[in-house]
Amino acid sequence: MSMWGRTLQFLPKQNQREGLLPWVIGVMLFLCALSLTSALALGRGLERWSAGLTSNLSVQIVVDDPMVRKAQTEDALRLLRATPGVAEASVMADADVIALLSPWLGEIPTDTGLPLPTLIEVKLTAPDAVNIKGLGERLMATASGARLDDHQAWMTQILNLAAVVRLLLAGIVVMVVLCTVAIVIFGCRAGLATHRESIEIMHLMGAEDRTISQAFDERYLAHGLKGGLFGVLMAGLTLYILIRLADDMGQGLIQASLPAASSLAWLALLPVLSGVVTMLTARITVRRALLDLM
Amino acid sequence: MITFENVGMRYGMGTEVLRDISFSLDRGSFHFLTGPSGAGKTTLLKLLYLAHRPSRGLVNFFGRDLATLERGALPRLRRRIGVVFQDFRLFDHLTAFENVALPLRIQGAKKAQVADHVEELLSWVGLEDRMHARPATLSGGEKQRVAIARAVINKPDLLVADEPTGNVDPDMSRRLMHLFVELNKIGTTTVVATHDEDLVRMIGAPIMRLDKGELNMIAGGTPLDPEAAA
Repeated sequence: MSMWGRTLQFLPKQNQREGLLPWVIGVMLFLCALSLTSALALGRGLERWSAGLTSNLSVQIVVDDPMVRKAQTEDALRLLRATPGVAEASVMADADVIALLSPWLGEIPTDTGLPLPTLIEVKLTAPDAVNIKGLGERLMATASGARLDDHQAWMTQILNLAAVVRLLLAGIVVMVVLCTVAIVIFGCRAGLATHRESIEIMHLMGAEDRTISQAFDERYLAHGLKGGLFGVLMAGLTLYILIRLADDMGQGLIQASLPAASSLAWLALLPVLSGVVTMLTARITVRRALLDLM
Repeated sequence: MITFENVGMRYGMGTEVLRDISFSLDRGSFHFLTGPSGAGKTTLLKLLYLAHRPSRGLVNFFGRDLATLERGALPRLRRRIGVVFQDFRLFDHLTAFENVALPLRIQGAKKAQVADHVEELLSWVGLEDRMHARPATLSGGEKQRVAIARAVINKPDLLVADEPTGNVDPDMSRRLMHLFVELNKIGTTTVVATHDEDLVRMIGAPIMRLDKGELNMIAGGTPLDPEAAA
Protein backbone atom coordinates (compact mmCIF):
# COMPACT_ATOMS: atom_id res chain seq x y z
CA MET A 1 0.00 0.00 0.00
CA SER A 2 1.34 3.41 -0.88
CA MET A 3 0.03 6.86 -1.38
CA TRP A 4 0.24 6.24 -5.12
CA GLY A 5 -2.22 3.34 -5.10
CA ARG A 6 -5.91 3.54 -5.94
CA THR A 7 -6.51 4.60 -2.35
CA LEU A 8 -4.65 7.63 -1.00
CA GLN A 9 -2.99 5.78 1.87
CA PHE A 10 -1.71 8.47 4.21
CA LEU A 11 -1.57 6.25 7.31
CA PRO A 12 1.81 4.85 8.36
CA LYS A 13 2.25 1.11 7.97
CA GLN A 14 3.17 0.15 11.51
CA ASN A 15 0.78 0.45 14.39
CA GLN A 16 1.31 -1.84 17.36
CA ARG A 17 -2.23 -1.41 18.67
CA GLU A 18 -3.74 -2.41 15.34
CA GLY A 19 -1.25 -5.28 15.04
CA LEU A 20 -3.24 -7.29 17.57
CA LEU A 21 -6.54 -6.77 15.80
CA PRO A 22 -6.19 -9.53 13.16
CA TRP A 23 -5.43 -12.06 15.93
CA VAL A 24 -8.47 -11.02 17.95
CA ILE A 25 -10.65 -11.17 14.83
CA GLY A 26 -9.12 -14.59 14.10
CA VAL A 27 -10.13 -15.96 17.51
CA MET A 28 -13.65 -14.57 17.14
CA LEU A 29 -13.95 -16.07 13.66
CA PHE A 30 -12.71 -19.40 15.00
CA LEU A 31 -15.54 -19.44 17.59
CA CYS A 32 -18.02 -18.19 15.02
CA ALA A 33 -17.06 -20.85 12.47
CA LEU A 34 -17.31 -23.65 15.04
CA SER A 35 -20.72 -22.48 16.32
CA LEU A 36 -22.13 -21.92 12.87
CA THR A 37 -20.87 -25.24 11.55
CA SER A 38 -22.25 -27.13 14.55
CA ALA A 39 -25.64 -25.40 14.33
CA LEU A 40 -25.99 -26.18 10.63
CA ALA A 41 -24.66 -29.74 10.91
CA LEU A 42 -26.86 -30.53 13.92
CA GLY A 43 -29.90 -29.36 11.99
CA ARG A 44 -29.08 -31.34 8.86
CA GLY A 45 -28.01 -34.43 10.82
CA LEU A 46 -31.19 -34.52 12.88
CA GLU A 47 -33.31 -34.05 9.78
CA ARG A 48 -31.67 -37.09 8.19
CA TRP A 49 -31.81 -39.06 11.42
CA SER A 50 -35.48 -38.28 12.21
CA ALA A 51 -36.49 -38.82 8.58
CA GLY A 52 -35.10 -42.35 8.92
CA LEU A 53 -37.00 -42.97 12.14
CA THR A 54 -40.33 -41.54 11.01
CA SER A 55 -40.32 -44.03 8.15
CA ASN A 56 -40.20 -46.86 10.68
CA LEU A 57 -42.76 -48.19 13.12
CA SER A 58 -42.60 -50.89 15.77
CA VAL A 59 -45.47 -53.14 16.77
CA GLN A 60 -45.25 -55.07 20.05
CA ILE A 61 -47.46 -58.07 20.67
CA VAL A 62 -47.63 -58.24 24.46
CA VAL A 63 -49.45 -61.46 25.38
CA ASP A 64 -48.33 -64.01 27.99
CA ASP A 65 -49.65 -67.09 26.19
CA PRO A 66 -47.14 -68.02 23.45
CA MET A 67 -49.84 -69.60 21.23
CA VAL A 68 -52.12 -66.57 21.40
CA ARG A 69 -49.11 -64.31 20.88
CA LYS A 70 -48.15 -66.25 17.76
CA ALA A 71 -51.72 -66.09 16.38
CA GLN A 72 -52.01 -62.35 17.08
CA THR A 73 -48.59 -61.80 15.48
CA GLU A 74 -49.75 -63.47 12.28
CA ASP A 75 -53.00 -61.44 12.28
CA ALA A 76 -51.06 -58.21 12.81
CA LEU A 77 -48.60 -59.10 10.03
CA ARG A 78 -51.45 -59.80 7.63
CA LEU A 79 -53.09 -56.47 8.45
CA LEU A 80 -49.83 -54.56 8.17
CA ARG A 81 -48.83 -56.12 4.85
CA ALA A 82 -52.27 -55.34 3.44
CA THR A 83 -52.09 -51.69 4.54
CA PRO A 84 -51.26 -49.23 1.74
CA GLY A 85 -48.07 -47.29 2.55
CA VAL A 86 -46.41 -50.19 4.36
CA ALA A 87 -43.37 -51.27 2.41
CA GLU A 88 -42.31 -54.13 4.63
CA ALA A 89 -43.32 -55.80 7.91
CA SER A 90 -41.19 -58.48 9.53
CA VAL A 91 -40.92 -60.18 12.91
CA MET A 92 -37.75 -59.52 14.82
CA ALA A 93 -35.88 -62.65 15.94
CA ASP A 94 -35.94 -63.43 19.71
CA ALA A 95 -32.16 -63.10 19.82
CA ASP A 96 -32.44 -59.53 18.48
CA VAL A 97 -35.16 -58.67 21.02
CA ILE A 98 -32.95 -59.98 23.84
CA ALA A 99 -30.05 -57.91 22.46
CA LEU A 100 -32.26 -54.82 22.66
CA LEU A 101 -33.16 -55.62 26.27
CA SER A 102 -29.65 -56.52 27.38
CA PRO A 103 -28.66 -52.93 28.40
CA TRP A 104 -31.40 -53.09 31.05
CA LEU A 105 -31.58 -56.81 31.91
CA GLY A 106 -28.02 -57.95 31.22
CA GLU A 107 -27.09 -61.09 29.32
CA ILE A 108 -30.12 -63.43 29.10
CA PRO A 109 -30.07 -66.94 27.60
CA THR A 110 -32.65 -67.36 24.82
CA ASP A 111 -34.23 -70.39 26.46
CA THR A 112 -35.07 -68.90 29.87
CA GLY A 113 -38.81 -68.97 29.20
CA LEU A 114 -38.99 -65.24 29.95
CA PRO A 115 -42.23 -63.91 28.34
CA LEU A 116 -40.73 -61.64 25.72
CA PRO A 117 -43.00 -59.51 23.54
CA THR A 118 -42.92 -60.16 19.85
CA LEU A 119 -41.58 -57.19 17.93
CA ILE A 120 -42.64 -56.45 14.37
CA GLU A 121 -40.53 -53.97 12.42
CA VAL A 122 -42.53 -51.97 9.91
CA LYS A 123 -41.01 -49.89 7.12
CA LEU A 124 -43.19 -47.28 5.45
CA THR A 125 -42.89 -46.11 1.88
CA ALA A 126 -42.80 -42.50 3.20
CA PRO A 127 -42.95 -40.86 6.68
CA ASP A 128 -46.58 -39.74 6.19
CA ALA A 129 -47.70 -42.70 4.04
CA VAL A 130 -49.92 -44.15 6.78
CA ASN A 131 -52.48 -42.74 9.21
CA ILE A 132 -50.73 -43.87 12.40
CA LYS A 133 -53.72 -43.37 14.71
CA GLY A 134 -56.09 -45.31 12.40
CA LEU A 135 -53.55 -48.12 11.95
CA GLY A 136 -53.14 -48.41 15.74
CA GLU A 137 -56.91 -48.73 16.22
CA ARG A 138 -57.22 -51.35 13.49
CA LEU A 139 -54.30 -53.30 14.97
CA MET A 140 -55.95 -53.27 18.41
CA ALA A 141 -59.18 -54.54 16.84
CA THR A 142 -57.36 -57.32 14.99
CA ALA A 143 -54.89 -58.31 17.73
CA SER A 144 -55.82 -57.13 21.23
CA GLY A 145 -52.22 -57.45 22.48
CA ALA A 146 -50.76 -55.21 19.74
CA ARG A 147 -49.15 -51.87 20.68
CA LEU A 148 -48.05 -49.52 17.91
CA ASP A 149 -44.99 -47.33 18.62
CA ASP A 150 -44.12 -44.59 16.11
CA HIS A 151 -41.18 -43.27 18.27
CA GLN A 152 -42.84 -39.84 18.45
CA ALA A 153 -42.86 -39.56 22.26
CA TRP A 154 -39.10 -39.69 22.78
CA MET A 155 -38.12 -38.35 19.38
CA THR A 156 -40.08 -35.14 19.99
CA GLN A 157 -38.08 -34.55 23.16
CA ILE A 158 -34.78 -35.04 21.35
CA LEU A 159 -35.84 -32.82 18.47
CA ASN A 160 -36.95 -30.13 20.96
CA LEU A 161 -33.59 -30.38 22.71
CA ALA A 162 -31.81 -30.15 19.37
CA ALA A 163 -33.87 -27.06 18.46
CA VAL A 164 -32.81 -25.39 21.72
CA VAL A 165 -29.15 -26.29 21.09
CA ARG A 166 -29.39 -24.87 17.57
CA LEU A 167 -30.92 -21.70 18.95
CA LEU A 168 -28.11 -21.40 21.49
CA LEU A 169 -25.48 -21.92 18.80
CA ALA A 170 -27.16 -19.31 16.61
CA GLY A 171 -27.15 -16.98 19.62
CA ILE A 172 -23.42 -17.60 20.09
CA VAL A 173 -22.82 -16.76 16.41
CA VAL A 174 -24.75 -13.49 16.78
CA MET A 175 -22.87 -12.61 19.98
CA VAL A 176 -19.49 -13.40 18.40
CA VAL A 177 -20.32 -11.24 15.35
CA LEU A 178 -21.46 -8.36 17.60
CA CYS A 179 -18.34 -8.79 19.73
CA THR A 180 -16.16 -8.66 16.62
CA VAL A 181 -17.92 -5.50 15.46
CA ALA A 182 -17.39 -3.94 18.93
CA ILE A 183 -13.70 -4.89 18.90
CA VAL A 184 -13.27 -3.37 15.45
CA ILE A 185 -15.01 -0.18 16.63
CA PHE A 186 -12.66 0.06 19.63
CA GLY A 187 -9.65 -0.67 17.42
CA CYS A 188 -10.80 1.89 14.91
CA ARG A 189 -11.32 4.55 17.56
CA ALA A 190 -7.84 3.84 18.92
CA GLY A 191 -6.55 4.19 15.36
CA LEU A 192 -8.41 7.47 14.95
CA ALA A 193 -6.91 8.78 18.19
CA THR A 194 -3.42 7.69 17.11
CA HIS A 195 -3.74 9.30 13.69
CA ARG A 196 -5.82 12.28 14.79
CA GLU A 197 -3.26 14.86 13.69
CA SER A 198 -2.77 13.24 10.28
CA ILE A 199 -6.53 13.13 9.77
CA GLU A 200 -6.87 16.80 10.73
CA ILE A 201 -4.14 17.77 8.28
CA MET A 202 -5.80 15.79 5.49
CA HIS A 203 -9.11 17.40 6.40
CA LEU A 204 -7.60 20.90 6.27
CA MET A 205 -5.97 20.17 2.93
CA GLY A 206 -9.44 19.57 1.54
CA ALA A 207 -9.68 15.78 1.71
CA GLU A 208 -13.27 14.58 1.64
CA ASP A 209 -14.52 12.23 4.36
CA ARG A 210 -14.61 9.46 1.76
CA THR A 211 -10.93 9.91 0.91
CA ILE A 212 -9.93 9.74 4.58
CA SER A 213 -12.14 6.78 5.40
CA GLN A 214 -10.86 4.85 2.36
CA ALA A 215 -7.43 4.73 3.97
CA PHE A 216 -9.02 3.05 6.99
CA ASP A 217 -11.22 0.86 4.75
CA GLU A 218 -8.16 -0.59 3.08
CA ARG A 219 -6.35 -1.10 6.38
CA TYR A 220 -9.28 -2.79 8.14
CA LEU A 221 -10.24 -4.90 5.13
CA ALA A 222 -6.73 -6.38 5.34
CA HIS A 223 -7.11 -6.93 9.12
CA GLY A 224 -10.47 -8.66 8.59
CA LEU A 225 -9.16 -10.89 5.80
CA LYS A 226 -6.05 -11.88 7.76
CA GLY A 227 -7.98 -12.56 10.96
CA GLY A 228 -10.71 -14.39 9.08
CA LEU A 229 -8.22 -16.62 7.28
CA PHE A 230 -6.49 -17.51 10.54
CA GLY A 231 -9.78 -18.22 12.35
CA VAL A 232 -11.20 -20.33 9.56
CA LEU A 233 -8.01 -22.36 9.15
CA MET A 234 -8.03 -23.12 12.88
CA ALA A 235 -11.74 -23.96 12.83
CA GLY A 236 -11.30 -26.20 9.79
CA LEU A 237 -8.48 -28.05 11.49
CA THR A 238 -10.49 -28.48 14.70
CA LEU A 239 -13.56 -29.74 12.84
CA TYR A 240 -11.45 -32.15 10.82
CA ILE A 241 -10.04 -33.65 14.03
CA LEU A 242 -13.53 -33.89 15.60
CA ILE A 243 -14.95 -35.57 12.49
CA ARG A 244 -12.14 -38.14 12.50
CA LEU A 245 -12.74 -38.85 16.20
CA ALA A 246 -16.52 -39.18 15.67
CA ASP A 247 -15.93 -41.57 12.76
CA ASP A 248 -13.85 -43.76 15.07
CA MET A 249 -16.55 -43.68 17.76
CA GLY A 250 -19.38 -44.91 15.52
CA GLN A 251 -22.69 -43.46 14.51
CA GLY A 252 -25.57 -41.65 16.11
CA LEU A 253 -26.11 -38.16 17.50
CA ILE A 254 -22.41 -37.31 17.80
CA GLN A 255 -21.93 -37.89 14.09
CA ALA A 256 -25.24 -36.18 13.35
CA SER A 257 -24.02 -33.03 15.10
CA LEU A 258 -20.83 -32.82 13.03
CA PRO A 259 -20.63 -31.82 9.38
CA ALA A 260 -19.25 -34.01 6.65
CA ALA A 261 -15.66 -33.04 5.82
CA SER A 262 -16.73 -32.44 2.21
CA SER A 263 -19.33 -29.88 3.30
CA LEU A 264 -16.83 -27.47 4.87
CA ALA A 265 -16.02 -25.63 1.64
CA TRP A 266 -18.34 -22.76 2.55
CA LEU A 267 -15.95 -21.88 5.40
CA ALA A 268 -13.76 -20.33 2.70
CA LEU A 269 -16.34 -17.53 2.43
CA LEU A 270 -15.92 -16.51 6.08
CA PRO A 271 -12.62 -14.59 5.66
CA VAL A 272 -14.24 -12.55 2.87
CA LEU A 273 -17.28 -11.93 5.07
CA SER A 274 -15.01 -11.04 7.98
CA GLY A 275 -13.08 -8.59 5.78
CA VAL A 276 -16.24 -6.92 4.52
CA VAL A 277 -17.83 -6.65 7.99
CA THR A 278 -14.59 -5.27 9.46
CA MET A 279 -14.20 -2.77 6.62
CA LEU A 280 -17.80 -1.55 6.82
CA THR A 281 -17.59 -1.23 10.61
CA ALA A 282 -14.41 0.82 10.28
CA ARG A 283 -15.96 2.96 7.54
CA ILE A 284 -19.03 3.80 9.63
CA THR A 285 -16.91 4.49 12.74
CA VAL A 286 -14.49 6.76 10.87
CA ARG A 287 -17.21 8.66 9.01
CA ARG A 288 -19.10 9.29 12.24
CA ALA A 289 -15.91 10.51 13.92
CA LEU A 290 -15.15 12.79 10.96
CA LEU A 291 -18.51 14.49 11.41
CA ASP A 292 -17.06 15.98 14.62
CA LEU A 293 -14.67 17.94 12.43
CA MET A 294 -16.15 20.98 10.70
CA MET B 1 -12.33 38.12 -1.07
CA ILE B 2 -12.70 37.22 2.61
CA THR B 3 -14.96 39.16 4.93
CA PHE B 4 -15.62 38.84 8.66
CA GLU B 5 -18.46 40.88 10.15
CA ASN B 6 -19.09 41.05 13.90
CA VAL B 7 -17.69 37.58 14.34
CA GLY B 8 -17.62 36.10 17.82
CA MET B 9 -16.17 32.77 18.87
CA ARG B 10 -16.49 30.79 22.04
CA TYR B 11 -15.62 27.18 22.83
CA GLY B 12 -18.54 25.34 24.42
CA MET B 13 -20.09 27.43 27.20
CA GLY B 14 -16.88 29.39 27.88
CA THR B 15 -16.38 33.12 27.47
CA GLU B 16 -15.87 34.56 24.01
CA VAL B 17 -12.32 34.15 22.75
CA LEU B 18 -12.99 36.54 19.86
CA ARG B 19 -15.45 39.45 20.05
CA ASP B 20 -16.97 41.49 17.24
CA ILE B 21 -14.20 40.80 14.77
CA SER B 22 -14.70 42.66 11.49
CA PHE B 23 -12.24 42.90 8.62
CA SER B 24 -11.85 42.07 4.99
CA LEU B 25 -8.89 40.68 3.09
CA ASP B 26 -8.56 41.85 -0.50
CA ARG B 27 -7.14 39.62 -3.19
CA GLY B 28 -3.34 39.75 -3.14
CA SER B 29 -3.11 41.50 0.23
CA PHE B 30 -0.47 40.71 2.86
CA HIS B 31 -1.22 40.98 6.57
CA PHE B 32 0.56 40.12 9.75
CA LEU B 33 -1.49 38.85 12.64
CA THR B 34 0.08 39.81 15.96
CA GLY B 35 -0.88 39.97 19.60
CA PRO B 36 0.12 38.56 22.96
CA SER B 37 -0.31 34.89 23.84
CA GLY B 38 -3.94 34.08 24.59
CA ALA B 39 -5.22 37.01 22.54
CA GLY B 40 -7.08 34.68 20.17
CA LYS B 41 -4.63 34.50 17.24
CA THR B 42 -4.85 30.74 16.87
CA THR B 43 -8.65 30.84 17.04
CA LEU B 44 -8.81 33.51 14.35
CA LEU B 45 -6.42 31.48 12.19
CA LYS B 46 -8.61 28.39 12.66
CA LEU B 47 -11.56 30.38 11.42
CA LEU B 48 -9.44 31.53 8.47
CA TYR B 49 -8.42 28.02 7.48
CA LEU B 50 -11.93 26.65 8.02
CA ALA B 51 -11.20 24.40 10.98
CA HIS B 52 -14.10 25.98 12.94
CA ARG B 53 -17.31 27.81 12.29
CA PRO B 54 -17.76 31.03 14.28
CA SER B 55 -20.27 31.14 17.15
CA ARG B 56 -21.83 34.27 15.68
CA GLY B 57 -21.36 36.83 12.94
CA LEU B 58 -21.04 36.66 9.18
CA VAL B 59 -18.10 35.09 7.38
CA ASN B 60 -17.76 35.18 3.65
CA PHE B 61 -15.11 33.16 1.78
CA PHE B 62 -14.61 33.72 -1.94
CA GLY B 63 -18.20 34.95 -2.27
CA ARG B 64 -19.71 32.10 -0.26
CA ASP B 65 -21.52 32.71 3.02
CA LEU B 66 -20.12 30.22 5.53
CA ALA B 67 -23.40 30.08 7.49
CA THR B 68 -25.31 28.68 4.52
CA LEU B 69 -22.54 26.46 3.20
CA GLU B 70 -23.14 22.71 3.55
CA ARG B 71 -20.45 20.56 5.12
CA GLY B 72 -19.98 18.68 1.87
CA ALA B 73 -18.99 21.89 0.07
CA LEU B 74 -16.21 22.75 2.51
CA PRO B 75 -13.42 20.47 1.12
CA ARG B 76 -13.45 22.35 -2.21
CA LEU B 77 -13.20 25.63 -0.33
CA ARG B 78 -10.35 24.34 1.83
CA ARG B 79 -8.38 23.43 -1.30
CA ARG B 80 -8.22 27.15 -2.04
CA ILE B 81 -6.51 27.75 1.31
CA GLY B 82 -2.92 26.81 2.14
CA VAL B 83 -1.89 26.41 5.77
CA VAL B 84 1.59 26.50 7.32
CA PHE B 85 2.02 25.54 10.96
CA GLN B 86 4.74 26.44 13.45
CA ASP B 87 5.32 22.73 14.15
CA PHE B 88 5.28 21.88 10.40
CA ARG B 89 2.82 18.93 10.77
CA LEU B 90 4.46 16.88 8.06
CA PHE B 91 3.74 13.16 7.68
CA ASP B 92 6.84 11.56 9.16
CA HIS B 93 6.53 8.33 7.15
CA LEU B 94 6.35 10.18 3.83
CA THR B 95 9.25 11.77 1.96
CA ALA B 96 9.43 15.51 1.33
CA PHE B 97 8.24 14.82 -2.22
CA GLU B 98 5.27 12.77 -1.03
CA ASN B 99 4.32 15.34 1.62
CA VAL B 100 4.27 18.13 -0.95
CA ALA B 101 2.34 15.94 -3.40
CA LEU B 102 -0.47 15.20 -0.93
CA PRO B 103 -2.75 18.15 -1.77
CA LEU B 104 -2.55 17.28 -5.47
CA ARG B 105 -3.32 13.63 -4.72
CA ILE B 106 -6.32 14.74 -2.64
CA GLN B 107 -7.60 16.49 -5.74
CA GLY B 108 -7.19 13.24 -7.65
CA ALA B 109 -4.08 14.11 -9.69
CA LYS B 110 -2.17 11.18 -11.17
CA LYS B 111 1.43 10.39 -10.28
CA ALA B 112 2.80 11.53 -13.64
CA GLN B 113 0.96 14.86 -13.44
CA VAL B 114 2.22 15.49 -9.92
CA ALA B 115 5.93 14.79 -10.37
CA ASP B 116 6.99 17.81 -12.45
CA HIS B 117 5.00 20.22 -10.35
CA VAL B 118 6.33 18.95 -7.01
CA GLU B 119 9.93 18.84 -8.21
CA GLU B 120 9.67 22.39 -9.52
CA LEU B 121 8.26 23.68 -6.25
CA LEU B 122 10.82 21.85 -4.10
CA SER B 123 13.54 23.39 -6.26
CA TRP B 124 11.97 26.81 -5.72
CA VAL B 125 12.23 26.39 -1.94
CA GLY B 126 15.81 25.13 -2.33
CA LEU B 127 15.20 21.47 -1.52
CA GLU B 128 15.88 19.84 -4.88
CA ASP B 129 18.53 17.65 -3.23
CA ARG B 130 16.28 16.62 -0.32
CA MET B 131 13.20 15.46 -2.22
CA HIS B 132 13.36 11.88 -1.03
CA ALA B 133 14.37 12.62 2.55
CA ARG B 134 11.92 11.95 5.35
CA PRO B 135 11.11 14.76 7.81
CA ALA B 136 13.14 13.11 10.60
CA THR B 137 16.33 13.76 8.60
CA LEU B 138 15.50 17.39 7.73
CA SER B 139 16.47 20.50 9.71
CA GLY B 140 13.80 22.84 11.11
CA GLY B 141 14.23 25.26 8.22
CA GLU B 142 14.02 22.46 5.65
CA LYS B 143 10.90 21.05 7.27
CA GLN B 144 9.25 24.46 7.18
CA ARG B 145 10.15 24.90 3.52
CA VAL B 146 8.57 21.50 2.77
CA ALA B 147 5.48 22.65 4.73
CA ILE B 148 5.35 25.88 2.73
CA ALA B 149 5.71 23.97 -0.54
CA ARG B 150 2.86 21.68 0.55
CA ALA B 151 0.71 24.69 1.42
CA VAL B 152 1.19 26.38 -1.95
CA ILE B 153 1.34 23.41 -4.36
CA ASN B 154 -2.34 23.98 -5.19
CA LYS B 155 -1.73 27.69 -5.92
CA PRO B 156 -4.10 28.68 -3.10
CA ASP B 157 -6.04 31.94 -3.10
CA LEU B 158 -5.34 32.35 0.61
CA LEU B 159 -2.18 31.37 2.50
CA VAL B 160 -2.41 31.24 6.29
CA ALA B 161 0.76 30.76 8.32
CA ASP B 162 0.76 30.24 12.07
CA GLU B 163 4.11 31.32 13.54
CA PRO B 164 6.00 29.87 10.55
CA THR B 165 9.33 31.16 11.82
CA GLY B 166 8.86 30.10 15.42
CA ASN B 167 11.09 27.04 15.18
CA VAL B 168 13.87 28.32 12.92
CA ASP B 169 16.92 30.59 13.35
CA PRO B 170 16.80 34.31 12.40
CA ASP B 171 18.55 33.82 9.07
CA MET B 172 16.10 31.08 8.06
CA SER B 173 13.20 33.26 9.30
CA ARG B 174 14.27 35.94 6.86
CA ARG B 175 14.50 33.43 4.00
CA LEU B 176 11.07 31.99 4.81
CA MET B 177 9.52 35.46 4.93
CA HIS B 178 11.06 36.10 1.55
CA LEU B 179 9.17 33.04 0.25
CA PHE B 180 5.90 34.37 1.64
CA VAL B 181 6.49 37.75 0.02
CA GLU B 182 7.27 36.02 -3.31
CA LEU B 183 4.02 34.06 -3.10
CA ASN B 184 2.11 37.20 -2.24
CA LYS B 185 3.59 38.92 -5.29
CA ILE B 186 2.01 36.32 -7.58
CA GLY B 187 -1.42 37.12 -6.13
CA THR B 188 -1.78 34.88 -3.08
CA THR B 189 -3.57 36.62 -0.24
CA THR B 190 -1.34 36.02 2.76
CA VAL B 191 -1.86 36.17 6.53
CA VAL B 192 1.15 35.44 8.72
CA ALA B 193 0.74 35.17 12.48
CA THR B 194 3.93 36.05 14.32
CA HIS B 195 5.37 37.32 17.59
CA ASP B 196 8.48 38.49 15.82
CA GLU B 197 8.35 42.30 15.74
CA ASP B 198 11.58 42.45 13.71
CA LEU B 199 9.98 40.45 10.88
CA VAL B 200 6.94 42.71 10.92
CA ARG B 201 9.13 45.82 10.69
CA MET B 202 11.25 44.19 8.01
CA ILE B 203 8.28 43.63 5.68
CA GLY B 204 6.23 46.66 6.69
CA ALA B 205 2.86 45.04 5.83
CA PRO B 206 -0.46 45.99 7.49
CA ILE B 207 -1.01 44.43 10.91
CA MET B 208 -4.09 42.75 12.35
CA ARG B 209 -3.47 43.16 16.08
CA LEU B 210 -5.49 41.05 18.47
CA ASP B 211 -5.73 41.89 22.14
CA LYS B 212 -8.09 40.16 24.55
CA GLY B 213 -10.20 38.90 21.69
CA GLU B 214 -10.60 42.26 19.98
CA LEU B 215 -9.05 43.21 16.65
CA ASN B 216 -7.34 46.42 15.60
CA MET B 217 -6.21 46.97 12.04
CA ILE B 218 -2.91 48.90 11.77
CA ALA B 219 -1.71 50.27 8.47
CA GLY B 220 1.62 49.05 7.13
CA GLY B 221 4.85 50.97 7.66
CA THR B 222 7.93 51.46 5.57
CA PRO B 223 9.77 48.17 5.17
CA LEU B 224 13.16 48.06 6.88
CA ASP B 225 14.34 45.44 4.43
CA PRO B 226 13.39 46.62 0.94
CA GLU B 227 14.89 43.48 -0.55
CA ALA B 228 12.62 41.20 1.49
CA ALA B 229 9.57 43.33 0.94
CA ALA B 230 10.20 44.12 -2.71
